[in-house]
Amino acid sequence: MKKKPTLGIYGFTGCAGCQLAVLDCEDILVDLFNYVDIKVFYEAMSNNEDVANVDIALVEGSINTNKQLNELKEIREKAGVLVAFGSCANFGGIQAMALGDGKWEQRFTRVYGDAKFTVAIPREAQPIHKFVKVDAFIPGCPPSTPQMLRALTQLLHGNQPTYTNSPVCLECKFRENECLLNDGKLCLGPLTMGGCTAPCPSHNTPCIGCWGIIDEANHTSELKLLKEKGFKTEDIIQRFRIFGGSKIVEKVQKLLEVE
Amino acid sequence: MMKKIVVNHLARVEGDGGIYVEIDGDKIKKLEVRIFEGPRLIEALAIGKLPEEVISFTPRICAICTVSHKNASIRAIERALKTNEDEKTYYARELMHMGEMIESHSLHIFALALPDYLGYPNVIAMVDKYADVITKALNLKKYSNKIMQILNGKFIHGENATAGGFGKFPERSELLEIKKEAEESLTFMCAATDIVGGLELPDHLEEDTVFVCCNPADKKYGFWGEELIFSDGTVLPSTKYKETLIERVVPHSFAKRSLYKGKPFSVGALARLNCIGDRLKGEAAKYFKKYKNERWLKNPLYNNLAQAIEIIYCLERIPKLVDILLKLPDPKFEKATRKKGRGVGTVEAPRGLLVHDYSFENGYVTDANIITPTAYNLDDIEKYMANSALSLNKAGKNEGEIAFELEKIARAYDPCISCATHLVKVVKK
Repeated sequence: MKKKPTLGIYGFTGCAGCQLAVLDCEDILVDLFNYVDIKVFYEAMSNNEDVANVDIALVEGSINTNKQLNELKEIREKAGVLVAFGSCANFGGIQAMALGDGKWEQRFTRVYGDAKFTVAIPREAQPIHKFVKVDAFIPGCPPSTPQMLRALTQLLHGNQPTYTNSPVCLECKFRENECLLNDGKLCLGPLTMGGCTAPCPSHNTPCIGCWGIIDEANHTSELKLLKEKGFKTEDIIQRFRIFGGSKIVEKVQKLLEVE
Repeated sequence: MMKKIVVNHLARVEGDGGIYVEIDGDKIKKLEVRIFEGPRLIEALAIGKLPEEVISFTPRICAICTVSHKNASIRAIERALKTNEDEKTYYARELMHMGEMIESHSLHIFALALPDYLGYPNVIAMVDKYADVITKALNLKKYSNKIMQILNGKFIHGENATAGGFGKFPERSELLEIKKEAEESLTFMCAATDIVGGLELPDHLEEDTVFVCCNPADKKYGFWGEELIFSDGTVLPSTKYKETLIERVVPHSFAKRSLYKGKPFSVGALARLNCIGDRLKGEAAKYFKKYKNERWLKNPLYNNLAQAIEIIYCLERIPKLVDILLKLPDPKFEKATRKKGRGVGTVEAPRGLLVHDYSFENGYVTDANIITPTAYNLDDIEKYMANSALSLNKAGKNEGEIAFELEKIARAYDPCISCATHLVKVVKK
């Protein structure tokens, strides 16, 4: 019999929603455990190997302690393909919303006072590609079930996962929703990576950009449009940053410099 | 002889934590539940944000308790900014909360805790022998995810519920589907409760503790309220949480700790049943009476059974909620009536009392405080682990056997470590 492909699912700082999204595939969960040999999945099983030699490693969460950084490096060494799994691994997630503003120490003191920790040395949250080579990514906050399963299937067959290369705005149009921007709502659908099938605007609530910015979007036009609608620049930037992490900060700052 | 027990990575819990114990003869030299999950500083990041932004990103503290964080942040913000809560909105929020309660409890009972008691490494390994139970348990989990998807827009981290109401209320057909499945699942859940109720629980860790939960209005069972109720009889307005449950920082954990009158305490399903379980009705009341005994007051391993009884409560409550919702018209979106003020939102997350507390000036957050149930529980978890380690050591158990029992205690509390690392403001000196 052919050897089963091996899989490791690792979680760093985040909400653990990407791992939970795996457990939420109730219909195929048993098949998944039968088809692949899962070596590490702390959230779901005991008898894990600490960091295992695996064909595919899915890494959830951002890195914000020295202990995590060392583990990440070991995961990289022992993984055939390393996948950044979900928003936090890809661009830092909400804990990276103020990345690079130079006030991390101040925030740390605000929450913990001058406490010293023996458990690990904390640092500002960063996406995993800042530290190791990432071979593929699965977007999402959390990834949607169909997209995650497609990506896993592609990876298991040795292919690069494909993702939706169009914004949420397009998927929203396909669902024939009325545009929330016309309603004066600060919707980030035109800039955000699709694949989620636009559940939020379909419920009359604006897209908050949780899957991250899409490269192909018309950022300049959206900025202009939002300003025309009367939103303050600082509110727009703030909204961009909450879910946009490091990636959006670079992008938007560049745009503002051009202005 | 000195014994050292080290669990580097707690399995089948949410997040990154471990256990470190040093036993010297009949003394515990050191016992630490170590929380490695890095600090995310959510409260500090909330400063300067708008209400709707806080409601979007604070639920990202935890995927398993996302709806509890949503309801807690909404309740805090609506109180701070004096926003009216329409009747239909109220009940739709309750229905959404039920979805999370069933999802979290069923995941915990069947996939995370039951393998311990039946001797399996994970739930999938149980399939050969317990195919029927596992299939039905996964169906129940799927059903509860559907409730959250319909009410909140997504299984995990939906955006439909916000301050002032819902973007869109569920369709009649969706509500009827939710009702039908609740009625169909009840028989299975009653049978499953007997499986959990039939498990032999060890008594070597037992010790009295104090339990606390929200006190729902009108002497009803439920998952939120404006007061806290303690198993020692104390009832307090929930705004007094800060003076009553005193926080501190410990060096071995990025999650803060809390004490009540200088002692550790417990929150969660068992706490709720111990404090307000006598208010249950119907099948839930029958099962509560069938299994309740005095060991519930001193043995946290009963938490799984309490969770099972709470699922029965939810499955009986859901059809009633659907009937109420079907009768009420969709309300207009309610607006905040002021831009300044402080509000505290206390809800019962699956793992227990969850507090969100915000202050606003000119419409923006100026102060934020979030305390999660796992943080509240950590001192009691360590207390029970110390009891267990000592008596097992005395009984001549080896390191591996002791470690397994300690992990079981951790898992009984169903700790949510992502949640626990977002604790509050500066330590007072």
